[in-house]
Amino acid sequence: MKELRMILKKEFIHIIRDKITLALVLAMPIALVLLFGFTISTDIRNAKISVLDQAKDSQSKLLVDKITASGYFQVVAYPENEVEIDNDFKNKGIKLAIIIPPHFEDKLSKEHTANLQVINDVSDLNVASILNNYVRAVVQGYTEEYNQDSQAGFDITTKMLYNPESSSVYMFVPGIITLIMVLVTALMSSITLAREKETGTMRMLLITPVKKIHIIIGKVIPYMAISFIGTIAILIISVTVFKMPINGSLLMLLILCIIFMLTSASFGLLISSISQTQVDAMMITMMGLFLPTVLLSGFLFPLNSMPMVFQVLANVFPAKWFILAIKDVMIKGSGIFDIWMYLLILLVMAVVFIIFSLTRLDKRN
Amino acid sequence: MSAICIENVSKSYGGKVKAVRDVTFSVEEGEVFGLVGPDGAGKSTLFNILTTLLLPDSGNIKMLGMDVIDDYKAVRQIIGYLPGTFSLYPDLSVQENLDFFAVMYKSSIAENMSIIEPIWKQISPFKDRKAGKLSGGMKQKLALCCALIHCPKVLFLDEPTTGVDPVSRKEFWDILKSIRKHGITVVVSTPYMDEATRCDRIAMIQEGKIIGINTPATFIENFKGKLYTFKSEDIFSLLNAMESCPLDCNYYPYGEHCHIAFYDDIATALPQFEKFLSDNNLQHDEIRAIAPSVEDCFIEIVQRDFSH
Repeated sequence: MKELRMILKKEFIHIIRDKITLALVLAMPIALVLLFGFTISTDIRNAKISVLDQAKDSQSKLLVDKITASGYFQVVAYPENEVEIDNDFKNKGIKLAIIIPPHFEDKLSKEHTANLQVINDVSDLNVASILNNYVRAVVQGYTEEYNQDSQAGFDITTKMLYNPESSSVYMFVPGIITLIMVLVTALMSSITLAREKETGTMRMLLITPVKKIHIIIGKVIPYMAISFIGTIAILIISVTVFKMPINGSLLMLLILCIIFMLTSASFGLLISSISQTQVDAMMITMMGLFLPTVLLSGFLFPLNSMPMVFQVLANVFPAKWFILAIKDVMIKGSGIFDIWMYLLILLVMAVVFIIFSLTRLDKRN
Repeated sequence: MSAICIENVSKSYGGKVKAVRDVTFSVEEGEVFGLVGPDGAGKSTLFNILTTLLLPDSGNIKMLGMDVIDDYKAVRQIIGYLPGTFSLYPDLSVQENLDFFAVMYKSSIAENMSIIEPIWKQISPFKDRKAGKLSGGMKQKLALCCALIHCPKVLFLDEPTTGVDPVSRKEFWDILKSIRKHGITVVVSTPYMDEATRCDRIAMIQEGKIIGINTPATFIENFKGKLYTFKSEDIFSLLNAMESCPLDCNYYPYGEHCHIAFYDDIATALPQFEKFLSDNNLQHDEIRAIAPSVEDCFIEIVQRDFSH
């Protein structure tokens, strides 16, 4: 135990004396979460639109009011014909145009149906489809109210579970937490063993009688501790700035984070054990861990729509399981009985990575 | 009794480069054994094998009765190792480095102060300085302290004086002599032939092969040629001209001098050589007879025995 304490002390000295890295590791999570949180947001506010109201009756006015009151749209022009709409797209930078047909009110009351035409600027597919959904939601709300007034037809009530405001924060914050934890924990720990190899200190360590597992544990714990500080900072920002809820128990969330840090740090060591230099380790971490974490964790791109190969491949990376678990805990308020399988998978991964690193550590050929 | 017995050890990298070829020798207990050879001769590879960090392709090594290949964990307990490149933590202070390795070896500084004291006295004024900020000589002294902290039975020093100033080099060898008093067997490698004379015995290594093992004095006694030295202004023309020299001799630049070893009867060879130099209009000062150094011996063996 004395040896382990000494190794830990040494690792902490390395971390504390390397002021630039320390500052980076502590400031990076905060900077990243703010950066990602504010930039990767799919919520659109005040999109410019124009409305061609060919009816100009009370119902069409009511619909336009609904659209403007939603907060999603800002009507910048009321063109008189479709040619003007075209000009609005080109000159006024509108993203969407709505055409209300003539005799809107009459059609609704007599035929119980009316066709709204929506014209999209699809040069940005994401924006277009999001705005389209907003229009649908607004029109649906309007229809419901209209039907209630006229006591006619059917109505649909949709109940939004877990994310009543359809806020993208719910999607992104867990992903950002994952990315940052992987970046800090795995990158730092992957460099550390490689550095000892590069400078030759690993040879000095290996010929001492110290147990290999002590070397490994001595490497994992300090980087877990450092990234734990970062994780707490991210969680605080997520809750205070981005209004991310923590519906599950905070203890459960912290335990989950600690286990994921263990898995990430072990993955880092695994990379370290197959690299000879720090540059190798960094490249392998970026390409072999960070990139798959971004692409295959289900954080940016839904896994279900990927080819089977990638869906299977995604299982190998710890991030997928962590994102599933952290979403359950933070959003659904799940407890240990709901997410024990994810925790088990992460723990088994950590153990496998550590065992593999151990076998690679003292390779004598 | 032999401290280390090495039998038919070979090692190649990637099946092509043969770094160590069929090396066999033994090191006696308590001696300072030198491994002498130019860069790339295979010294560091051999050291890595002896210190259990690398497996040989073939061969056996016994160290104080233990098998270095199979029983490597036990061997690690009794060896100290000073690698060829500075391998301590540069961001830890001198004291912290020493404390760290003391604990790693389950030892304590106080326990083995008697062994490291002559070295520790020299570096303790700098004990709060970061190891990376020390001078080359100081770094090696600290590394030696760390290698001795557990009182090893066999100490391996891989080129300990490379990159160290001449004064520190001399100090370092004085320290090695003092280490012997504790009965520690020392195996040291060096590319500096002048240092080899300070070893009890030396093994000369060239292209992975051991080309001679003896005491430095015996090597010098066994020097076959008659060695002369002189200075010339134009070494390049001299080298070219020597291609056509009819004498059985071995010529090579040695620092700012030229060394020439004659293998014919010296009474006729020397006047013939002087005539050869004047025929070729080569300037030179007086040609004096000198005693061979270990380096002259190494060159003779490489040129006359090993290459044929």
